[in-house]
Amino acid sequence: MAAPDRRISLHPALVLAGALLAAGLVSHFSDHYNPYYLDVALGAGINVILAVSLNLVNGYTGQFSLGHAGFMATGAYAAAAVTMLLGPSLLGADGGTPWQQNLLFLGALAAGGLAAAVAGLLVGLPSLRLRGDYLAIVTLGFGEIIRVILQNVDALGGAMGLNGIPAYTDLFWVLAVGALTVFVVQCLVRSTYGRGFLATHDDEIAAEAIGLRTTRYKIVAFVVGAFFAGVAGGLFGHLKQTISPSGFDFTKSIEIVVMVILGGMGNTLGVILAAILLTVLPEVLRPVAEYRMIAYSLLLVILMLVRPQGLFQFRRPGRP
Amino acid sequence: MMNSAPTPVPPILSLEDVTVRFGGLTAVDAVSLSIGEGELVGLIGPNGAGKTTTFNVIAGVYAPTSGTVRFAGRDLGRSGPADRAALGIARTFQNIRLFGSLSVFDNVRVAMNLHATTGPGHALLRLGRFRDDEANVARRTEELLELFDLLRFRDAPARSLPYGHQRRLEIVRCLATRPRLLLLDEPAAGMNPTEKAGLIELIQRVQKQFSLSILLVEHSMKVVMGCCARIAVLDFGAKIAEGTPAQVQADAKVIEAYLGENHAQSLTHH
Repeated sequence: MAAPDRRISLHPALVLAGALLAAGLVSHFSDHYNPYYLDVALGAGINVILAVSLNLVNGYTGQFSLGHAGFMATGAYAAAAVTMLLGPSLLGADGGTPWQQNLLFLGALAAGGLAAAVAGLLVGLPSLRLRGDYLAIVTLGFGEIIRVILQNVDALGGAMGLNGIPAYTDLFWVLAVGALTVFVVQCLVRSTYGRGFLATHDDEIAAEAIGLRTTRYKIVAFVVGAFFAGVAGGLFGHLKQTISPSGFDFTKSIEIVVMVILGGMGNTLGVILAAILLTVLPEVLRPVAEYRMIAYSLLLVILMLVRPQGLFQFRRPGRP
Repeated sequence: MMNSAPTPVPPILSLEDVTVRFGGLTAVDAVSLSIGEGELVGLIGPNGAGKTTTFNVIAGVYAPTSGTVRFAGRDLGRSGPADRAALGIARTFQNIRLFGSLSVFDNVRVAMNLHATTGPGHALLRLGRFRDDEANVARRTEELLELFDLLRFRDAPARSLPYGHQRRLEIVRCLATRPRLLLLDEPAAGMNPTEKAGLIELIQRVQKQFSLSILLVEHSMKVVMGCCARIAVLDFGAKIAEGTPAQVQADAKVIEAYLGENHAQSLTHH
């Protein structure tokens, strides 16, 4: 039998299991870590999940979505609703054992992901027949609609948002979801089926001509991307313990898009590194205080001028 | 549907009074044409004769304003390019459309999706069936590439190939969809005489080896005369002649259509 890949092929599920084990181990000692570093690391991890999932849409499939923060918000509110509404009755007055809490959190994250995936499907079905700029406008509009709705629904706290979300997010959850996101995206893309995402990216007309249903590919990418954005939202809410609509505005979407572009569209490793870099960079720039955002923006401009193919794009484009 | 078939073998493709209008312009005017199983038919005509529009109607890019297109006896209606590819109609493009950033291998591999038995779910679980299917696809892809001497470029991005090889890869990608009918849209465009000779050889080889029916839309007389047994000629959207290369070359209307074009050109330049 001819090997489809000439690399040493370890079953991806084993790699995922190993990553989860490592996540548990690293997290076990998190009490000993500097809380500030830990906080930055958790933020970076959540950004990795957001960027890697958006990369499936904007990088591999070549669609320009500007609504990732909207899906993140959907997931954040749905997950918070589960732990805040169902939590007290399920766990009892004493708050339950850590295992019960983790189980509830797992359910909350799944609910957040599913809510976002449904939103992704609803936005994607009518709009993914559009190309390029048009899709960008539609997704931009969607993100804003979500934000405005959240701002005006009193049951969800209105502009104040939700407070008192239990602090369930720890290093394990962030690393585990991060590993799962990378696993799903990589497994999808590295298959005969998944080459269809890249073909859609390269040439939709040619892809249709060889029988690929490009709209279906775009919807799959969009829904999977939205799912993980939703889970990332759930992690974010249970980390910060408070969420408000303004945290999921247009600038958040742009931030994630920048990570994808900087990492080299369609290059998962690059996007992971870019997400980490762009989370750590503002922290490193703290000493320059009020000039921080100027320095940050300037660095982005320079990086794009020097490496337009993406900071971490070493391999040939499109060959992840 | 298959009532009174006049010939023992029904044609694989038949156009019946196909008309395409864009606003006030009639690009294709009541054209009827049929291609028999295993036949290689050429479609020629001067610039603007409606060749490419006819081609696109067959490929499912445009729906005819009136008339029907049948494939293996079945009315294709308004089905799109992807549906037609699934039925067994493959096409190439005048200005080659490969997946430029994908490797030569992946360009062919992705076209195997049409007959793949595994999908996204299998890709995530990666059980035995997925691995077998992937190994199968890889083997068949490599066989096809080997057959057309492209295996040595296996991992090169498609856009880095020389022009002639890109043309060949596009045809190989079509073959990966296991077509019954191959539509070639001006494959000789931009080729020099040596490349054209190679192309004629390639088209004939593909037709025999894969027992395909082929419709060749072409501007280059040399290529069409060189490989087609039957040729149809379009002018101003209508079919003006059909027959063997010798018949077509001797046809008064055809000569007029081609010379008339030259006349018109020399007149406008004054």
